[in-house]
Amino acid sequence: MFHYPFMQRALIAGILLAGLFAYLGVFVVMRRMAFFSDGIAHASLAGVAAGVLLSVNPLITALAASVLFAVVMFFLERKTHLSSDAAVGLIFTVGMALGVLLISLKRGYQPELIGFLFGNILMIKSWDLWLIGIVSVFISGSLFLFRREITLMSLDPEMAYLSGIRTGFFQLALYIILAISVILGIKILGIVLVSALLVIPVSISKLISSSFQKLVIRSVVFAEVIMIAGILLSYLFDLPTGAIIVLTGAVLFFTVFVLRRS
Amino acid sequence: MAHPIIKIDHLSVRYDGQEVLKDLSLNIQKGKIIAVIGPNGSGKTTFIRAILGLIPYQGMIQIDGQPVKASLTKIGYVPQAFSFDRSIPMTVGEFLTLSFKKVSPRKLKRALLEVDMRQYENHPIGSLSGGQFQRVLIARSILNDPLILVLDEATSEIDMAGSKSFYDIVAHLNKVHETTVILVSHEIQMIYKFADHIICLNRELICYGKPKEAITKEVLERLYGQDIRFQEHRH
Repeated sequence: MFHYPFMQRALIAGILLAGLFAYLGVFVVMRRMAFFSDGIAHASLAGVAAGVLLSVNPLITALAASVLFAVVMFFLERKTHLSSDAAVGLIFTVGMALGVLLISLKRGYQPELIGFLFGNILMIKSWDLWLIGIVSVFISGSLFLFRREITLMSLDPEMAYLSGIRTGFFQLALYIILAISVILGIKILGIVLVSALLVIPVSISKLISSSFQKLVIRSVVFAEVIMIAGILLSYLFDLPTGAIIVLTGAVLFFTVFVLRRS
Repeated sequence: MAHPIIKIDHLSVRYDGQEVLKDLSLNIQKGKIIAVIGPNGSGKTTFIRAILGLIPYQGMIQIDGQPVKASLTKIGYVPQAFSFDRSIPMTVGEFLTLSFKKVSPRKLKRALLEVDMRQYENHPIGSLSGGQFQRVLIARSILNDPLILVLDEATSEIDMAGSKSFYDIVAHLNKVHETTVILVSHEIQMIYKFADHIICLNRELICYGKPKEAITKEVLERLYGQDIRFQEHRH
């Protein structure tokens, strides 16, 4: 199976994204932002639909839409009394509604759209792989470079501010990074399931880690195992990639949970 | 007289159009332990948060001759409770080094030793008791040798023995490092024992001076209402 170029692309993209998602997922869990990433993914349907309608690469339009939504959420949280989940709920539904509206304007069956909703490893073209590769390396590098600032800000923004960290800047940067990463992942996992890879590996790692360093390293290892196993199983049994990856993660989570308790 | 470490001039704070602190002016001298008392809603935490630059205010606050925002690294802060999730796996050592760009292992060990938590460096923060965690927070706040240590009801979630030990540590830091300490507390007996000066707040400055001189029957009535009974113990 590895001689097929689409499988090579899927595996390379999967490995790159798994590492990025695991590292980002640590901050998502710390900041309790799982709903934010889910909301961004769903709202990006508007961007995907706009791309399909305008015959532009939907990944590009989804990226633009998700960054816009992330910035709007950031300012809604800061400038209004809306709680974070209310702001996400607003953007989530508005993006979905806009997506449904735009899709309705295009006649006929849209197989590409189904791929974006549920993930499809066949959809990863060379151009996508380059984009995923460059952006993943850039984001992972930035996260590593500013790991102290982002970790402290994710742990407690007030404590970060008092340590001289520009919390507003880093919070906005985290929102944008998360939005971009989620969109890169929807080709493999789909809009509906992409946020699972941010949460599941960290949740497994959290069960068995006693230090932050171990939490990060084990999250990355678990994410890679889940991603590679999911892609291979999906290919071998001809099953939807996103669903298989998430279910592989869930099986691993409950296995570790039971083993730890026993 | 040396210039004050904290200079506050006509400080006022408003929330949603309501005045929470009104026209507060006072100077705090270096190396003193200052206790802030007042009933719930009297503006104690607002006062602390203004000094830390966490909220907008009118008037002027200077820390060591500089504006608050330029002085954040000179202040160590121990809140009543941090909002973060303590179930995140993180050792005491990792937690302490996170707040600073560079912390030498020697300095880390010394800070933990000062709060009697040396053996807990590799323990997860989630496994610590309330009192132990508050001591770790003190260790964190003294790692960069602050000029001022701010404690906002830092003993409210620990038992009496833990509270006593907490105040002993604070007094030790004040004595050894000449750290100015500002603490919000309801524990009057501890204030009498440890504080050099007391600030009484009830949305405005009610009193400021040495505890035995400043806390009078009239002051307590203005702080806590007419029903308060003032009992003086003579031992």
